Amino acid sequence: MTVFIAIVLAGLGTYAMRALFLVALSNKTFPPLALRLLEYVAPAVMGALVVSMLIDSTGQLSLGAPELAGLGCAAFVAARTRNHIYALAVAMAVFWGLRWIM
Amino acid sequence: MASSEGKSPVWRGMKGSIPLFIPAIPFAFVFGVVVAESGLPGFLGWSSAPIIFGGAAQITLLTLLGEGASVAAAVTAALIVGARHLLYSVTLAPRFQSQPRWFRWVGAYMLIDQVFALVSIEELDDPDEFRHFYLSAGLTFWFLWMSFTALGIAIGPIIPEGWQLAFAAPVLFISILAVSVDRWQKAAAALVAMIAMAALADLPNRLGILVAAILAMFVGILLERVRR
Repeated sequence: MTVFIAIVLAGLGTYAMRALFLVALSNKTFPPLALRLLEYVAPAVMGALVVSMLIDSTGQLSLGAPELAGLGCAAFVAARTRNHIYALAVAMAVFWGLRWIM
Repeated sequence: MASSEGKSPVWRGMKGSIPLFIPAIPFAFVFGVVVAESGLPGFLGWSSAPIIFGGAAQITLLTLLGEGASVAAAVTAALIVGARHLLYSVTLAPRFQSQPRWFRWVGAYMLIDQVFALVSIEELDDPDEFRHFYLSAGLTFWFLWMSFTALGIAIGPIIPEGWQLAFAAPVLFISILAVSVDRWQKAAAALVAMIAMAALADLPNRLGILVAAILAMFVGILLERVRR
């Protein structure tokens, strides 16, 4: 039940962010500094989440050579090809390969 | 994108959506693995697809809930992941001024990354044409996302844990990051966030995400000043 409440809250919040300017404030805009700050939300949060997803429920971070190499390859391939599928394939191959060797 | 003039906007919306959906398929499967690993009932996990309708926010929410984060922490993280939707909403608002009220409410629900990308590159001068294209692309994505997340949840529990497929979630997030970074200040901000998160790993309830992200945002803004 708490999980469903979390899903509904996240859904309402996401909808509110999408609707805010389309429904309610269609002739308002953000001040430039706020827009600038908003542009940095994505890289900042994504960066934090990448590392957070490697932390287990006891607070232990597993970031060894296979993880670092996999993430590095993913970033490189994605930046080069702009294709998430290539990035995923290369990163998982490197990650599995290194884990198998080590 | 090649403009296909003379074709109906409904057809163009559908045709434009399919190639953009392909990169979303791995997200649907990673979402399935995340739900399987969280130990939640599949249908409950899947319900986030129609309720949230946003892959990155869904993966974030269920990963954190599965790791035992509190509701408040998981929802906050999912919402900051979705904060880019505010930017989409501001950007598209002028084009919604001439639209009927019902479409503003319905269109907001469908304001996902790919629909935003599509209406940004297509030529849609007439308000009716814009609306038909938008609804067609949005509904196409909706049906595809509902189907593929259901498929992902069906397949997720079958995948052996030894494959460590959960690692695909941070991999997809870093590849979104790499594609979205358009100047070095953003890359620097992302790096600051990663290092800060690693340093704050044992803060309870993933509080580190919020602290690391806020720190990184301010570092990014400060670095922009350096440039000038």
